[in-house]
Amino acid sequence: MTERRDDVRRRSIFGTSLAVVVAMGLSACGGGGDDGGASKTVRVTLANHVWTENIKQALPEFEKQTGLKVEITQLGEDQLSDQYNVKLNAGSSDIDVMMYRPLQEGRLFAKNTYLADLSAQVKSNTWDFSDFQAGPVEATTYEGKPVGVPIITEQEVLYYRKDLLAKAGLSAPPKTLDELKAAAAKVKAAEPDVAGFVARTGKSAAVTQFSSFLYSFGGDFADSSGKAAVNSDAAKQAYAYYGGLIKDSGPANVSTDMGWPEAMAIFTQGKAAFYTEANSLYKNATDPAKSKVSDQVGVAPFPAGPTGSKPYNIPSWALGINSSSENTSNAWKFIEWATSKEQTLAQQKSGVPGARSSVWSNPEGTSSFPKDLVEAIAASTKAGVGHDRPLVVKVAEAREIVGQPIVDAITGKDAAAAADTANAAFQKFLDDEAK
Amino acid sequence: MKPRPAYRVFRVVALTFVVLSLLAPLLWMIAASFKTNVDIYDPGKALSFSPTMGNYAKVLQQANYVEFIVNSLWVAFAATVASLILGLPAAYSMSRFNMKKSALVVLMARVIPGVSLLVPWYYVFSNLKMVGGFGVLIISHMFVSLPLVVYIMMGYFDSLPEELEEAGLVDGLTHIGAFRRVILPLSVPGIATSGILSFIFSWNNFMFALVLSDADTKTLPVAIFDFVGYASIDWGGLMAASTVVTLPIMLIALFVQKYVVSGLTAGATKG
Repeated sequence: MTERRDDVRRRSIFGTSLAVVVAMGLSACGGGGDDGGASKTVRVTLANHVWTENIKQALPEFEKQTGLKVEITQLGEDQLSDQYNVKLNAGSSDIDVMMYRPLQEGRLFAKNTYLADLSAQVKSNTWDFSDFQAGPVEATTYEGKPVGVPIITEQEVLYYRKDLLAKAGLSAPPKTLDELKAAAAKVKAAEPDVAGFVARTGKSAAVTQFSSFLYSFGGDFADSSGKAAVNSDAAKQAYAYYGGLIKDSGPANVSTDMGWPEAMAIFTQGKAAFYTEANSLYKNATDPAKSKVSDQVGVAPFPAGPTGSKPYNIPSWALGINSSSENTSNAWKFIEWATSKEQTLAQQKSGVPGARSSVWSNPEGTSSFPKDLVEAIAASTKAGVGHDRPLVVKVAEAREIVGQPIVDAITGKDAAAAADTANAAFQKFLDDEAK
Repeated sequence: MKPRPAYRVFRVVALTFVVLSLLAPLLWMIAASFKTNVDIYDPGKALSFSPTMGNYAKVLQQANYVEFIVNSLWVAFAATVASLILGLPAAYSMSRFNMKKSALVVLMARVIPGVSLLVPWYYVFSNLKMVGGFGVLIISHMFVSLPLVVYIMMGYFDSLPEELEEAGLVDGLTHIGAFRRVILPLSVPGIATSGILSFIFSWNNFMFALVLSDADTKTLPVAIFDFVGYASIDWGGLMAASTVVTLPIMLIALFVQKYVVSGLTAGATKG
């Protein structure tokens, strides 16, 4: 008996030491991390964006000024989101500065306390927090506290084809939604191969670009008391208008699964005359390497509905500090530099619309944008609404619900009935979330 | 007896259909990797276009793909070899000593969805300061490839006659010696099969690498997403990168397949 037990013990000791050796060997080939504690290296996670490319180029200047080292991890937007959800959920301090989408995940992150409260930091005098536009700042504020700094803003505009308008005998882009409908029908009649209008059609993808239609008809996703409002008269009209426009003047056999890459492709291949989309995508339309009609693209302010032109004006991206970061003061130094007036101006000159008013009022700040785009943006920031999707925690789920009537309207079903169904579902969703 | 002409026509048509539908996406990808972004979206230029090498230049020079290829190769190779070293003896003993319950436990690892492990893994490995290194990628890939190896090899060992080892034991070999000198050489086709499957899994794995790698250890599937930006997608670059990712694995598969076939025909227990 004793012999046997010894044997077992010996074997298990051997097994344990083998496991330890293996683990040590493997961790030895792991990237060592920084030895100097959390002090000199700022770890920044950024999305694939022109903004990020610009920051990377300007980075040596910041590193020289401060003596800090910046480590950038760069990912696509969905991968970025996945990574935050895993790492921040585990309370990781591997991330100091994080680039995030305030409207898509800001509430979730703030609710889960992933985002540090920046109330003290934003008071910095020279940096001037009051210079940031009110709408975007509202979207990066949670329960009265700033948790992020908006870096890139976005408004919805009307892209159009100058040559097709001229051919159809139209002298100027439409100013109202009624005019848009008539103009789209006219182009389609004049050029049977070309769609009068194209826009996103996917249930979830279309919600953000549909929102400006909704606001311009006088509706919103929820009313002022926080109740679901997607079956209001205004909302029903907006659903019927958006779906009807694509059904009647849109591309033949239109798919109901289009996001911006698909809709933009139809436009840039010269197969559509009008296209409502975010202004941040304008380079896809005006760059000859990506667009066949680059020299014929015009941009106009979002057409007015019964209650005027009310496009969204939102921060698509913001910078925040991970609340578990052990390096918050250096993290803030990076944010302060990256969102400074100089950097925002430099960004805007390369085509990234920023959130600082002073840069927009500076002629240098708008010099690189097409003239009509600057005018469209100016109009949008004036009357713009600060959100382009329901303001909830589980945004993806809410988009699926309020987006269903869009698809139903495009496929010719009863938009009003679909809106009623969606409203009941959305109210239930809001009730669940409030619990 | 010769097959009837109708059957032969049917066979040709059916084969063409299957081959075309399987190859079409692959061919589209390769064609698109030689196109500019404007041409990719143009159905009129599906077949006739003026090819450009710009996408490949971008992938191999600017985007640093050589480094990601080396990363992927190293992780896939190490995870496969480690899985074979641990998995082959395990499969052998499970097969010979009828360890059904242990086999079931190993299978459980394959049943659990990998995504549910990401948060605990990340937590554990970041406390061990291993996140971002190759070690953690290799271990996480072994989590999937080890059960794969064990299961394929268990079936394979079951099919080998026990008499072969008994002959070895009679001639003075130990169990381990018999395993090493008799069983392993006979199992080369099985080892090749499980090895290549484990390699392909590791090469293609995106989820584990996304969370557990960092800028220096990024593998190819994660790196591909660098071509997808917030307001711009570089389809040409994306397709060229995908081709670069696909080609090595296709070459390896073709090479190993030949080996597998030759291993099968060189069996020991003929007649």
